[in-house]
Amino acid sequence: MMARMRSALALLGLATALNVTLAPSGSAQEPRLESRVPEPTRSEINAILDSAGAAGLPTEPLVDRALEGVAKGADPDRILAAVRRLSGELRLAYDALGPRSSAAEIISGASAIRAGARSEDLAYLRELRADQPLTVAAATLADLVAVGVPADTAIAAVIALAEEADDAHYVAFRRNVERDIALGASPVAALGVRLEATAADVFRSAGQSPDSRPRPRKP
Amino acid sequence: MSDSDNGLKQVIDLLKQPVSLDSSFDEKVMEQVESVPPPRAWARSLWTAANWMRRGRTLTVSPLQGLALAAGVVAALFVGRMWVKPDSAVSPGPTAAVAEAALVHFVIVAPGAGSVSLVGDFNDWAALETPMHRVEGNGVWSVSIPLTTGRYRYAFLVDGTTWLSDPSAPPALDDEFGRPGSVLTVGEL
Repeated sequence: MMARMRSALALLGLATALNVTLAPSGSAQEPRLESRVPEPTRSEINAILDSAGAAGLPTEPLVDRALEGVAKGADPDRILAAVRRLSGELRLAYDALGPRSSAAEIISGASAIRAGARSEDLAYLRELRADQPLTVAAATLADLVAVGVPADTAIAAVIALAEEADDAHYVAFRRNVERDIALGASPVAALGVRLEATAADVFRSAGQSPDSRPRPRKP
Repeated sequence: MSDSDNGLKQVIDLLKQPVSLDSSFDEKVMEQVESVPPPRAWARSLWTAANWMRRGRTLTVSPLQGLALAAGVVAALFVGRMWVKPDSAVSPGPTAAVAEAALVHFVIVAPGAGSVSLVGDFNDWAALETPMHRVEGNGVWSVSIPLTTGRYRYAFLVDGTTWLSDPSAPPALDDEFGRPGSVLTVGEL
């Protein structure tokens, strides 16, 4: 009986080894792309998804970007280029923010990279907000650039608030800058005024002296 | 013999005397026993199964059966690997989003529209997934959806053909597909 058991275990080991050796090396298929993205673009996107997943990057935004392209009627080459570009931005953000970052933080970091932030900027932001989430801070940077604030100025402002501001401060700051711009202020002027006001608010909440308010600074 | 020894002896003698019970005692005990519901069939089965599993067994496996067993295990491993989501490679980390959702309200003014849909990352950009509801009389369309922490790109699709960005939200940077879009960031909840 023991001999039979040994035979069975040997066969089990052999079969497992065969499975490992003969496992298909091709890309896993993302089911949401199957009926919406044509070949060969679909295979290329699946390969990007595989590579991103293996590197620890969130893959959902890549799928979303492909589906957005399909919904908006973009041609396959354009969709592929967009997915590839986003994958590169996610990788830069992941490297800058570190492997312990959440998917949401990496995605926001990728938005900041697209807006003009450098990897060093994100790494510095992570350092300043080591114990706080980065999702909204990095997104604020991207959103300010999107409404016309120069990238360097937006980066300096977000970093200036990084140590003390919470998410609500960032959201209010961004909304106020956008409102001022919509009312006719120049983006830089709006940002300057609102940064002062937000910094005062932040430091008032933290119970610190107004003299220790942050000033825009570069990493 | 001391007083305490005498007291102890009296107690022992008292305890040695037979206890006289009420004649209805047996009936009362049986009433209590009968009031307890009998174990359910599934509980009896579970108990039997537990006893069966606790007992040792000798298995005899032929090489052919072993091969079938191995194939089953390999198939289970293969299927399991297919079900692993690529996103699981990302460490949630200390700043991971709370798995709660915030109800986000979307509004767009489109007076002449016959239909308006909210389309974005949160619904796989499916045009019919999230129809918006017309607010009577003023051309305002709205819908509320729950969203977890993250950054989302989205747009409004009017009458299935016209893409509109959200005027109350930042525009999507560098739109790559030639249509307007907006972005929304939901912070830690």
